Amino acid sequence: MNHVQALIDAIGEGAVFALIAVGIGLVFGVLRLINFAYGQLIMVAAYALAFPGNWPDAASIGLAVLAAVVASLVMERIAFRPLRTADPSTMLVATFAIAYLLQNGALLQYTYRQQGGLGDSIGTLSGLNQAVTIGSLHIRWVTFLAIGAGLVSLGGLALILTRTSIGLQMRAASMDFRTARLLGVKADTVIMAAVAISGVLAAVAAVVLSISSTSVNPTTGFQETIFVLVGVVAGGIDRLVSATLGAFAIGFAIELVGTELPNSGATPFTSNVYMPSVIYLAVIVVLLLRPAGLFARRGQRTVERV
Amino acid sequence: MNAQPVLEVDDLWVHYGTVPAVRKLGLTVGGGEIVGLIGPNGAGKSTTLHAIVGLVPARSGDIRLRGASILGRKPETIARAGISLVPEGRRIFAQLTVEENLRLGLVARTGHNDADRDLGWIEELFPVVREFRARQAGTLSGGQQQQLAIARALVAGPDVLLLDEPSLGLAPTIVDVVFGALTDIRERGVTVLLVEQRAQRTVALADRTYVMTNGEIRMTLTPADADDTERIIAAYMAS
Amino acid sequence: MRRTTWLQELLAPIALVALLAIASSLWVSSADQSKFQTAIVYVAIVAALYVFVGNSGVLSFGQVSFVAVGAFSAGVMTIPAGTKPGVLPTLFPLLRDHSISNVWSLVLAAGLGGVYAFAVGIPLMRLSGIAAGIATLAVLGITYNLLTYWNSIGPGATTLSLIPETTDYWQATVGAISVILVAFGYQRSRFGRQLRAAREDPAAARAAGIDIHRQRLWAFTLSGALSGFTGGLYVHLLGSIQTNQVYLDLTFLTLAMLVVGGISSLLGAVVGAIAISLFTILLGNSEEGIHVFGWGIKAPAGTSLVGVAVVMLVILLLRPAGITGGREFSLPSTFARPRLRSR
Ligand SMILES: Nc1ncnc2c1ncn2[C@@H]1O[C@H](COP(=O)(O)OP(=O)(O)OP(=O)(O)O)[C@@H](O)[C@H]1O
Ligand SMILES: [Mg+2]
Repeated sequence: MNHVQALIDAIGEGAVFALIAVGIGLVFGVLRLINFAYGQLIMVAAYALAFPGNWPDAASIGLAVLAAVVASLVMERIAFRPLRTADPSTMLVATFAIAYLLQNGALLQYTYRQQGGLGDSIGTLSGLNQAVTIGSLHIRWVTFLAIGAGLVSLGGLALILTRTSIGLQMRAASMDFRTARLLGVKADTVIMAAVAISGVLAAVAAVVLSISSTSVNPTTGFQETIFVLVGVVAGGIDRLVSATLGAFAIGFAIELVGTELPNSGATPFTSNVYMPSVIYLAVIVVLLLRPAGLFARRGQRTVERV
Repeated sequence: MNAQPVLEVDDLWVHYGTVPAVRKLGLTVGGGEIVGLIGPNGAGKSTTLHAIVGLVPARSGDIRLRGASILGRKPETIARAGISLVPEGRRIFAQLTVEENLRLGLVARTGHNDADRDLGWIEELFPVVREFRARQAGTLSGGQQQQLAIARALVAGPDVLLLDEPSLGLAPTIVDVVFGALTDIRERGVTVLLVEQRAQRTVALADRTYVMTNGEIRMTLTPADADDTERIIAAYMAS
Repeated sequence: MRRTTWLQELLAPIALVALLAIASSLWVSSADQSKFQTAIVYVAIVAALYVFVGNSGVLSFGQVSFVAVGAFSAGVMTIPAGTKPGVLPTLFPLLRDHSISNVWSLVLAAGLGGVYAFAVGIPLMRLSGIAAGIATLAVLGITYNLLTYWNSIGPGATTLSLIPETTDYWQATVGAISVILVAFGYQRSRFGRQLRAAREDPAAARAAGIDIHRQRLWAFTLSGALSGFTGGLYVHLLGSIQTNQVYLDLTFLTLAMLVVGGISSLLGAVVGAIAISLFTILLGNSEEGIHVFGWGIKAPAGTSLVGVAVVMLVILLLRPAGITGGREFSLPSTFARPRLRSR
C-alpha cells in the first residue's frame, strides 16, 4: 500500500466532508439547529443531476444547484421559521421528519415511474473518474475536483462573510442573534441567506459525490452527513472554522483508517470493517477532553438561540 | 424644551409567564429631551426598554414612535424605524473588530447619505473607536467597550437612543465621559431615554426622571430635585 | 391540593396502553394484530427513552444501543441450544452452548442494558447539550458496528432468526405497563425530582447540593436497563432481527414519538408512541385499500411513510411542545379557579 496515495485520497475525502460541514455549520450558526436533513438535500441535488439525462454538464449542475437551494429554502420556510422559538428538540425532530419525508419521497417516485431498480445513473462529469498517473501514484481527477471545489467554495464563502454586509450580518447573528436584531439585522434575511448558501454547498457536494458513485439513490448523502455531523461537533460547532476542520479530520481519518487497516479479521478493531468504531471512539475521547470541540478556543461559551 | 413627543408609552403591561414585570406604565419623551428612568434592581427598567424595542411582547398598552404605533413589530423593524438600544452589558461583538461593530450599526440606517458625516462627529465624541478601529472589540477595556456600544448605536442615525445602565461597572472618569457625551448627543438632535442606577446624576442631567419600583412609575423628578437626596431615597422606598 | 393527582397521572398512560391492547385484540383482524403489538412495544421503548431524555432534558441518541444489546442478548440466548451450533457456529462457546428461558432472557436483557448504560454513562454524563447528543450518537455507532461485524457475540451481518416469538398481547402489555410503572416511580422519587429540578435550572440545582452528574447517571442507567428489557420484548415479537433494525431509523422514530407526544411527561411518551404508531398503521393499511364511509381509498405503495412524516411535521408545527404539551394528565376540576385570561 502506497501511503502517499492513501494520504492524497484522504485529503480528497476530507475536502468533501468539509464542504458538507460548512453547509451544516452556517445554518447552525444562525439557527442553533443541527440539520439532520442536510444529507437529503444532497440527495435532492443528486437526483436533479440525474434527472435530465443528457443535458450538458453545466446545465445539469445548474439544475442541481437550483433544486438544492429551493429545497433548502422551502425547508426553512415551512419548518424552521415557525419553530424558531420552540424547544431545540422540536426543531431537531422536525429535521428528522423532513429527512424521512424526502427519503421516502425519493423511494415513492420509483413507484410512480414504475421503475424497479433503485438508483438512477449520473453521467455528469464522469470523465473525472479517470486517474492521472504520477510515478506510482494514481490520482483520480475527481480527487482534484473535490479539493479544488472545497477550496474555491470555502474561499468564496470567506469572501462573502468578511467582505459583504450580509456576510458580516450573518457572522454577527451567529455570535449573538438578539443583539444583531437590535442593530437592525433582519432575522429572516440572514437565515434565508445562510440556508440558501448551504443549499449551494449541498449541490457542490452532490456533484463531487456522484462523480465517484456514478448514481443516486434515496440514501445518497445520508451516511456522509452523519459522519460530518459528528465531525463538526468534535471539531467545535460554535465556529465555522473549527467545525469545518473537525469534519475534514473525520473524512481524512475515515479514508486513512479504511485503507490502512487490513481487510479481514472479525475480532473488533483488527480490520477495516471496524473503521466506524475507531472514528466514533476517537470522537468520544475528544468530546470528553474538550466538550466545546477539538479546535474550539479555550473557554468558549455557547451562544443563546434567537 | 417640551417639544412634540417622539416616543410615547401608554398603559403598558409586560408579563413574564403570569408575573407582571411592568404595570400600567406610561411615559413620554419629547424631541430633543433627555429623560431618565431610575429604580432599584428588578424594578422593570430593562423590561420596559425591551418592550419598546420589541424584544419582549407587551400584554397590553401601546408604544408609539412619532405618533405611529410600533407595538408588536420585530426588533429589526423597530431599529430601522429609528430606535437604537444600547443594551445592558454593552453586548458588543467581541470577536469582530471595532470597525466591523460600527459597520453593523449602519445596518439599521435607512438613508445612507450622511453616514460619513455622522461617523465624523461620533468618532470625535469617542476618539477611542477611531484609535482602535482594527482591534478585536473583545480586547478593549470595559469603558472603551461601552463607548463603542454607544457609538455603534449612534451610527444607525437613530431618532431615539435608549441606554440601559451605561455607567454600570465603569471607573468614575469614564462615567463622566459617558454622561458628558449624552449632552452632545442631545445637541445632535437625538432624543435620549436613559435607564440608570446612579440616581442623583441622572436626575441632575435629565429634563425629567421617572422613578420606577415594582413595575410601576411612582414619581417624576426634575433637575431641581437633584440635591434633595431624601426625596430620591423616599421614591426608591415607595414600593 | 387533591391528593389523588398522582394516581390520575399514573393511570392515564396505563389506561391508554390497556385500551389499545384490549381494543385491538378484540376488534382488529388477526393479520393486523402484530402491528398493534409492535405499537405496544414502541410505547415501552419510548417510555424507557423518556426516563433519561424527559427527566434530564439531555437529548440522547444512544438509548437504542441498549435496546439493541437487549434484543441481541435475549435473541441469542433463547435460540434452542441444539440448533445454535448449526446456525451460529462462530459464537463464543459460552453463548453457543447454553440457552435460557424467555423470562430469564428479559432479565438478562435488562441487566446487560443497565450495565452497559452505566459503564458508558460514567464518562459521558459529564457532557451536556450538543456534545452529549453527539457522544451518545457515537455510542450507537459503535454498538451497531460491533454487533454487525463481531460474530463471536451475535449473528454478525446476517439475520438472527429462530428466536421464540413469545411476545404476545399479554407479554407486550404487561411489559409496557411495567416500564411505565418504573418510569413513574422513578419520576416521583427523590432522585427523579432532583434530576427534573436540574433540568429546569442547573445552577440553582447545583447550589441546592444536587449532584447533576450522579443523577443523570442513575437515570441513564435505569433508562438503559429498561431499554434493554424492551429490546428483549421487541426481539421476541419479531422472531428474527438484523442490526439495522435497532439503529438510526429506530432512534429517529422513537425520539420523534417522544417529542411529538411531549418530551417532558411520561404521558407524552406514551401518547406520542401510540399516535405515531396508529398513523403508521392507518396509512399503511390505506396502501392496501381501506373503506371509509363506503369510499374505497387505495394509496400507492410508499405513500404511508411520506404521510407519517407529514403528520409528524404538522403536529410539531401545531403543537411545538408536543400533543400533551409535556404535561401529565389531570382531570378537569369543577372547582378550578377561573384562569387569568390573556388579553
Ligand atoms: N427573562 C425573564 N424571565 C422571567 N423574569 C424576568 C426576566 N427578565 C426579567 N425578569 C424579572 O422581571 C423583573 C424586572 O426585571 P428587569 O430586568 O426589567 O429589572 P431592572 O429594573 O432592569 O433591574 P436591574 O436594575 O437589576 O437591571 C424582575 O423581577 C426580574 O426578575
Ligand atoms: Mg436592568
